[in-house]
Amino acid sequence: MNENQPNFESLRRLLALKRHETPPPRYFDGFSSRVIARIRAGEAETPASLSNRLSDQVPWLLRFLHIFEGKPVFASAYAFALCLLLITGVIFAERPESTSQASWEPVSQTISSFTSATLPQPVNQMLMADNSTNPMFSFQSTAPSFGQISPGAQLVSYSLPGN
Amino acid sequence: MPADETTLVRRSRDGDLEAYNELVRCYQERIYATIYHMTANHEDANDLAQESFIKAFRALKSFRGGSSFYTWLYRIAVNKTINFLKQRKNRVQISLNDLDFNAEHDPDLVALISDRTPRREADLRELQEKLNAALLKLSEPHRLAVVLHDVQGLSHDEIAKVMNCNIGTVRSRLFYARQQLQGWLSDYLKPT
Repeated sequence: MNENQPNFESLRRLLALKRHETPPPRYFDGFSSRVIARIRAGEAETPASLSNRLSDQVPWLLRFLHIFEGKPVFASAYAFALCLLLITGVIFAERPESTSQASWEPVSQTISSFTSATLPQPVNQMLMADNSTNPMFSFQSTAPSFGQISPGAQLVSYSLPGN
Repeated sequence: MPADETTLVRRSRDGDLEAYNELVRCYQERIYATIYHMTANHEDANDLAQESFIKAFRALKSFRGGSSFYTWLYRIAVNKTINFLKQRKNRVQISLNDLDFNAEHDPDLVALISDRTPRREADLRELQEKLNAALLKLSEPHRLAVVLHDVQGLSHDEIAKVMNCNIGTVRSRLFYARQQLQGWLSDYLKPT
């Protein structure tokens, strides 16, 4: 290293140029007053940007984010992982629906056996039409077309057990 | 730490802003210069220097006096500057200060200026831009080592305290940085 030292002499002379770069005249005259005024005004807290506050309070988070800034590959991998997680979430979110349908099946079977045993046939048909719990759908499937009166609805009378 | 400075630090820690004003006036030029040479931007240096002094005032209660106030203050300014530089990484904006009148008469610089043109001022400006561009190409730790040693005139020991590393690391960073700069600025350097 010592052999190379003399070679840096002209570089050091060139670097001396930096010492001649000076701020505008009288710049330092009001510098300390500005600092003190900002301290007095409590400005030190309010102007701090989010990133500044993060760097002060949670430096590890900023370092973590800097990894992405320096290496876009990490950012892409992270985004890919998030997308994968989202897609997996969507897939799993749809599954419970089918599971709940399956779990409702024994209940609907119980209802159908109960109604077939106790209710009169037309009502039973209306209720059990398409095995659906949607009253609109079951009504439409049993109701006649526009303008016609359902004969079954007029003729039938029944009483539920216990009434 | 000089006795006066110790008193000023103690008074500042107790909330005496007059005392802190004295401390700011004592170090403002050196702190500003260090930040300016790291950022090559006057406006950024102005903001960061002010914020460094404000942060130092708020942190004075944690200053135990283990190192000198000057080293401690430098460390705050340097950390703030390095954090800032990491954030602005890909959007470098150069806003250089003018060269003072003495630059033209500096014997070291006069020796470097080529005799090809009588427009000495233009040559200095060009040199200034090339030098700053080359410095900005260095990584922050390497640039800091060069700025603190070759521009600010700090000793290896002081730099090690400011950068929180050992003297060997300071020396190797300095050597590597100078090598890099020498390569990039070879057209502007006279062979020794």
